[in-house]
Order: sequence, then structure tokens, then C-alpha cells
Amino acid sequence: MTFWGSLVYDLFPLIWSGMITGCLYALGALGLVMIFKCSRVVNFSHGNVAGLTAFLVYGLSSGVLMSLSWGAAVLLAMLAAVAIAFLIYSIISPVVFESDLTSTIATLGFGLIAQGVTLLVFGADIVALDLPIPRFAMSVLGLLVTGYDLTVLVVAIVTIGALFIVIDYTKLGIAFRAISENPFAAEVCGLNLKSVHYFAWITAAILGVIGALLIVPTTFLSVTTVATFMLQAFAAAVIGGFASLPGALFGGILVGVMMNLFTFYVSPEYSSTFLLGVILVALNIFPNGILQKVGGARV
Amino acid sequence: MSNHATHITPDQSVFTRLSGVATPGATAGIVLTALIVMPFMLGGSWTFTLGLCFANSIGVLAVSLLVRYGGEVSIGHTFFTALGAYSVGVLDTRYGISLWASVPLSLLLGVCFGILFAWPSRNLHGIYLAVTTLALALAVPEMINNFDSLTGGYEGLYVATPLIPGVSMGMQRYYVALVMLVIVCFAVARLRLSRQGMALLLAKTHPAAADAFGTRRVWARISIMGISGGIGALCGATLAFSGSTVSPGGFTFWQAIFLLVGSVVSFYGLSLPRVLLGGAFVTLVPQLLSASGAWIPVFYGLALLGMILLGHYMPRIRKAMSRNSEVS
Amino acid sequence: MDQLTNALRGEGIALSFGGIKVLKGLDVEFRAGEITGLIGPNGAGKTSLFNCLTGAYSPQQGTISYAGTPLNGLSPAARAAKGIVRSFQHVALCPDLTVRENVMMGIARNCTAGWLSAFLPLPRGRAERVEMAHAADAALIDLGLPDVGDKFPGQLPPGMQRLVEIARAVVGKPSVLMLDEPAAGLNNSETRDLTAVLRKLASTDLVMVVVEHDMDLVMSICDRIYVLNFGEFVAVGNPEAVRNNPDVVRIYLGSDDDE
Repeated sequence: MTFWGSLVYDLFPLIWSGMITGCLYALGALGLVMIFKCSRVVNFSHGNVAGLTAFLVYGLSSGVLMSLSWGAAVLLAMLAAVAIAFLIYSIISPVVFESDLTSTIATLGFGLIAQGVTLLVFGADIVALDLPIPRFAMSVLGLLVTGYDLTVLVVAIVTIGALFIVIDYTKLGIAFRAISENPFAAEVCGLNLKSVHYFAWITAAILGVIGALLIVPTTFLSVTTVATFMLQAFAAAVIGGFASLPGALFGGILVGVMMNLFTFYVSPEYSSTFLLGVILVALNIFPNGILQKVGGARV
Repeated sequence: MSNHATHITPDQSVFTRLSGVATPGATAGIVLTALIVMPFMLGGSWTFTLGLCFANSIGVLAVSLLVRYGGEVSIGHTFFTALGAYSVGVLDTRYGISLWASVPLSLLLGVCFGILFAWPSRNLHGIYLAVTTLALALAVPEMINNFDSLTGGYEGLYVATPLIPGVSMGMQRYYVALVMLVIVCFAVARLRLSRQGMALLLAKTHPAAADAFGTRRVWARISIMGISGGIGALCGATLAFSGSTVSPGGFTFWQAIFLLVGSVVSFYGLSLPRVLLGGAFVTLVPQLLSASGAWIPVFYGLALLGMILLGHYMPRIRKAMSRNSEVS
Repeated sequence: MDQLTNALRGEGIALSFGGIKVLKGLDVEFRAGEITGLIGPNGAGKTSLFNCLTGAYSPQQGTISYAGTPLNGLSPAARAAKGIVRSFQHVALCPDLTVRENVMMGIARNCTAGWLSAFLPLPRGRAERVEMAHAADAALIDLGLPDVGDKFPGQLPPGMQRLVEIARAVVGKPSVLMLDEPAAGLNNSETRDLTAVLRKLASTDLVMVVVEHDMDLVMSICDRIYVLNFGEFVAVGNPEAVRNNPDVVRIYLGSDDDE
């Protein structure tokens, strides 16, 4: 095969599918970054809680717990995610204002609990959870584009767009930005730190559920699927600088594409080691995130 | 904006009493005496479990040491324990070399890889370093499985060469772990008194002051990662010998978190009784709950949260109580 | 002449942060045997100059030298090794170390015991520790703190913590001692004690620099005073001359409200 031929047949599809997965990583990373930006806590329970809610959707719609329609199940699971996020933040909030590292360790505890609860309720079995979307595939400029790809793209764009609009234009979003810039000054100005923290934690939980529901159809659902997926989101957040929302978006897509290329061209067996290397390199070259050096992050 | 997990309580006297940085010799002596006679009173399976407790205690100590002297949290210490365990396992099964050579080798490897990891991450602090160690922990099982010609892949290795030929292997597995733990605890207690240890503590709380008196930040980071990595590897070496098998299941990401949980549960203590508490927690909880596996993460999570909230509220409760007693 | 040759000198020191000129080409000379004060309103550039001298910042222009040896490009640690030590505006004692151990850190860089001594009770490391402890106790006694060696810094009042910090700075017999707002956060009687201690410390071969807000302290202990405003020197001279300088009076009267 010629060089150009392999480019068209391998590289472009790899980049395309990497970008699709990358959008999902970005959804996860955005949640992590939102929480980190305002409360300086890295939420290690993000993946496990999102996994638990994905299982809830499965349980509520498949007859394990109830036999609701997919939409109703998602709605209930979202409510559960919001409640869990509210609960988690309520419990650790006194520690958050004391030490960010201690409260970060505390989120590991919630991650463990969420994982245990998932195991207790749903067991260690592998289940399938698909999206109710039409199955089709078409060829665009030589790329195979599926209904799943388009769904992910549309949902990601709408969600992220809505998030950025909320942060840029609503009162809560402006308070969020103020507190992320300078929590002390914002508090002096009469903003309630806790209510903004709740906003960030709850928004992050919703983003997590969306990300989890979209990623599960590509594989299957088990106790560790979503947690593993969130680890790539961690890498995306780190590459984006962990305190920049556009950075998280960019980092997510970058990680998605790089992982795809690495597993195809080098080795699928060293993907975690590759991720470690990427994180170390990124943190050394761009200690404040990849966008900080290129053009300065806005949000 | 404090990034130091340990630098939290304003009540210094409580803090130092809880810390275990200075070893209260008497308690350690009593505990040690009890542990020496233990195998003569317990059955074989308990002796075996206690040996694992000692090994895990060393790992908990490695994590706590990093917190105490480096102000940093690691979620990736299984990297170092795996390094030590596989040094012992590979030398034993492939070359028949006993602990005499494999323990020094694992210590050396642990220190070297601690430094190797510290160099690229020397400018990372707090949460950023924690996430990087997380990535380190995730890479471990993958590396073990990919080097299966050396590590035996999923099946693992069986360590059977005795340290002292002729002595019962069960006894050796217990006493070697105990001796290793005591040596490491002793060395760590000495570190507190040394100039290097004091310099690390100063660099943790006031890097600028340490810098002004000749301790560079990068030196401090590399030293503490080297020490902590070395002790982590000793934990792995002890685990391999006392636990008799080395397999990837012992070095998962969750195991790394459990070591951190053990460290938090022992309040990041460095004294023998304190690290034993952490090690026992890491070893015994999965054993006691083995019949209902799903409860293990729940229990660990609750314990972790409980200890953190206790650490948060205890100084307050103490203060309130002392205020009440003053009034009455 | 000795006091002039063993002086800490800065020539044409200029420093700017992102276009804002913080120091505009300063010439300074801190002589041995004298206590030199560095005063000025908030934001005048005192701390910036201080940080240039100790090596925390590197100025874009100018040279800094001690006894004729250039110091430019040396890290704070390397300057400390040459006997140039400092105290900190916010007390920077380690809460996990006893007071004695904190003071010992002032001479720890002279120790040669290796890592083996750190983990094993080898005679060399022990002897060095005893030696350091003796030196630390002597320094604490010099500063009038004979009984606090075994306490932790958190158990001492702020005034004593400040003195412990100065003990840590002087235990290594420095040639240049730079004090960053030593009286910050101290009450009147603590400031009086500090004044007495600083007077006692002054010797013919020690360069002592004090950055301070407390005018009474500066006027009572300093031999010479540099007054800094907007990155430039407004006045230089003995306390009497500075006190009567009309520019200085104007600066201080004008900024009285925000002090």
C-alpha cells in the first residue's frame, strides 16, 4: 500500500474515531476541571459515581430494578447523580476549606463506596447498555460515519455549548468564574462559596452521566468500565492544565486521538504506560496547561 | 491555599502527639515483645497473615513518610512494591538466589526508580503529583503482564528459597517480615534526628527558608521520593517472601489506594504501633470480608472518610471539651 | 577601612515585572559593623531589593557583590554558603521541629555526614548532631532564650518565634544578616527586647540590613538609613539627617493614612 493510501485508509479514520472518543473524555474532564477550578479538589469519585448512575439507567430500564422507558430511567439516574453529588460535597465541605489534598483523598473514599455499592446492587457481571439511536452508517469523504458518531458529536457540542453559555452569561456562571479567579475576594464581595461549589459539583455529575451513557455502547458496562474511562479524562484534564475549561476540551480530543494512534501504530499493550509518559511530558512542558502557552485561556 | 495535607491542625501539641514523628520507645517495645512471642501462641494461618501485616505496614510507612517529610500524597506506591516483589520473585525462581542478595537489589531499584520518577515530576506539587502517581500505578499491571517471560504474567511467581536453610519456612516468613519492619521503623526514627530529615521537614513547610539555609527544593523532592521508593520496594520484597507468591493481582491500582487508606487510617504515623495499625487494616479487612467481596471497597471508603472527618473534628471536640472543663 | 572592604554592594540594580519598573537602577552599600535600615512606604520596592540581594529574584541589570566578590547568578543556597543569611517577614520555622532543631538548621549545611548516618546511629552523625545542638543552644542563650530549646515553635509567643528565627540566622556566624520586617506582628515590649538583641548582635565584621515599617525601631538602632520610594532612593544618611529630610517627611506624612 502506498503512503497516501495508508494515510486515507488508516490515519484519517483513526483521527476521526479518536476525536469522537476525545469528545467523551472532554465531557469527563470538564466535570473534573469545574470542581477543581472552584473548590481545588480533584474528584476521584467522578468515574465510579458516573459508573453507578450508568448502572442505574441499566437497572431501571432493563427490569433488574424497574422496567421504565430509557428516557425515564435516564431522568431518574440524573436525579440520583445530582443527589449523590450533593451528598458528597455536603459531607466533605468542611474539609474542603481546610486542605485541598485531604479532601481529594476523601473523594477516593466516595469512589470506593460507589464502586462497592455498584457491586452490591448489580454484581460483577458485564451487561450491555445501548443508546436508543437509529443504526446507520454513511461514507463522507472516505470516512465511515455512524449514527453513534453523530450522536456523540451532537450531544457533546450541545452539552459543552450549554455549559459555556451558562458559565459566560448566567449569574451563577459569573459567580463561578469570580470564585475560581479569587475565592477570597469573591467571598468578600458577598458571593456564597458553598452554593457555587454545589453548582460545580452537580454540573460535573451531570456531565459525568452523559459521558458514561455515551461511552458504554462502544464496549459494555461493568464495574470498572466507566472508572477506567474517567482515567483518560484525568489525563485530558491534566494536559489541559486542570484549571482551564477550554484546556479540558482540547486535552480530551488530544488524548483521544493520541491514544488511538498509539494503540494502532505502536502497541495496544502499553497504553497506560503511554498515558503516564504523556502526562509527565505535558506537565513539564506546559505546567499550566497546553492552552496557556499557546494563547491564554479565556474561561 | 495550603497544599500540605499534614499541615492542618493549629494545635501543635495534639499534632505532635498524634504524629508519631518522635517514637515513644516504650509502646514500641511492648508491641515488639508481644509480636516476637506471637507465633508460639497462634496457629499457622494467623502467623502467615501477621507476616503479611508486617509487609504491608512497611508499604503504609513508605506512603506516610512521603506525606510527613515531603508533604505529598502518592496513589502509586504499588509501582515500588511491585519492583521489590518482582526483584525477589525473579531472582528466586529464575536463579535460586535468596533474600541476602535480592533485598539489597530491591532497595537499590526502589531508590533508583524513586529518583527517576522524581526528576521529571520535580516541579509538581499536591494534586498534580497525586494524579501523576495515579498514572504510575495504572501502568504497573500492564508492565508486569507485558514482561511475562520474566514475571510469569498472570500466573505469577512462587518464592520458596529459604533465607536460612533448615529453619521452618513458616517461621522464616513471619520473622523475616518482622525484622524488616523493625529495621525500617528504626531507620525512619533515626531519619527524624538527622540533618537530612530535619532539612526535609523544613523544606516541606517553608521551602523558601530551607532554600535560604542551603536545602534546595529539588534535592528535597528527589531525596524523599528516593527514600519512599526504596522503602516501598522493601515492602514488596517482604510481601514476596512472606506471602510466598508474586502476581499482578497484588499490585493493582486498588492496592495502591488501599496503601494510602492504610496511611490515612494510621494518621500518617511513622512509629511501629501506628504503621502496624495501618498495615493490619490493609491486610485484615480484605481477609475478614472475603466472604462478601463487595463490602470491601465500601468498608475501605467508609474507614477513609471516617478517619478524615475524625481528623477534622477531633481537634475541635478536644478544644470544646477543654473549654468545658475550664468552665466547670 | 575594613568595614568598607567587607561591604555588601549593589550597583545599578534594576528590576521590572512585566513592564512595571520596581527598582530603577539603585546603588547601595551596606557596611560591616553598621546596622543599615531600608525603609519606605508600601510598594516602594523594599522587599524587591531585599530579594535581589538574597538571590530570590535576579535583577535585569546591575551587579551585587560582597567584599568584592560578585554574587550575581548565585542561588539563595549558594549565597547562604557564603555567609549571607536572612530572616523572613512571616515566621518560617518548621512546626514539626523543636526550637533547638530549627536553630540547628542554620548550620546544617556545614555538616558532612552522609545518608548512611541519616538512617543508622553512626558515630560521625551523632557527633555532628551534638555539635550542632551545642551551637544552637549557645545562639539561643545569646538571644536571651535559654529554656525554650525543647519546645515546639507553636508553643511560643510570636515575639519569641521571631527571636528563634534570628537565632537560626546568626548561629552560623554569618557575615551578612538581612532581617525582613523583624518587628512585624510584635507588641511593644517584644519590640523593645528585639531592639536590645539587635544592638547586641552588631559587631565590627557583620553587615546587618533591616527592612522595617516600625520607625521607632529603625531610628533607634540604625547607623545609616536608605529611604526608598517608587523604586528610587529619596534619602540616604544617619537617622538624624533622614528624620529631618523634607522629602522623607512628605512621603511619610502623605502616606500616613494607609500605613
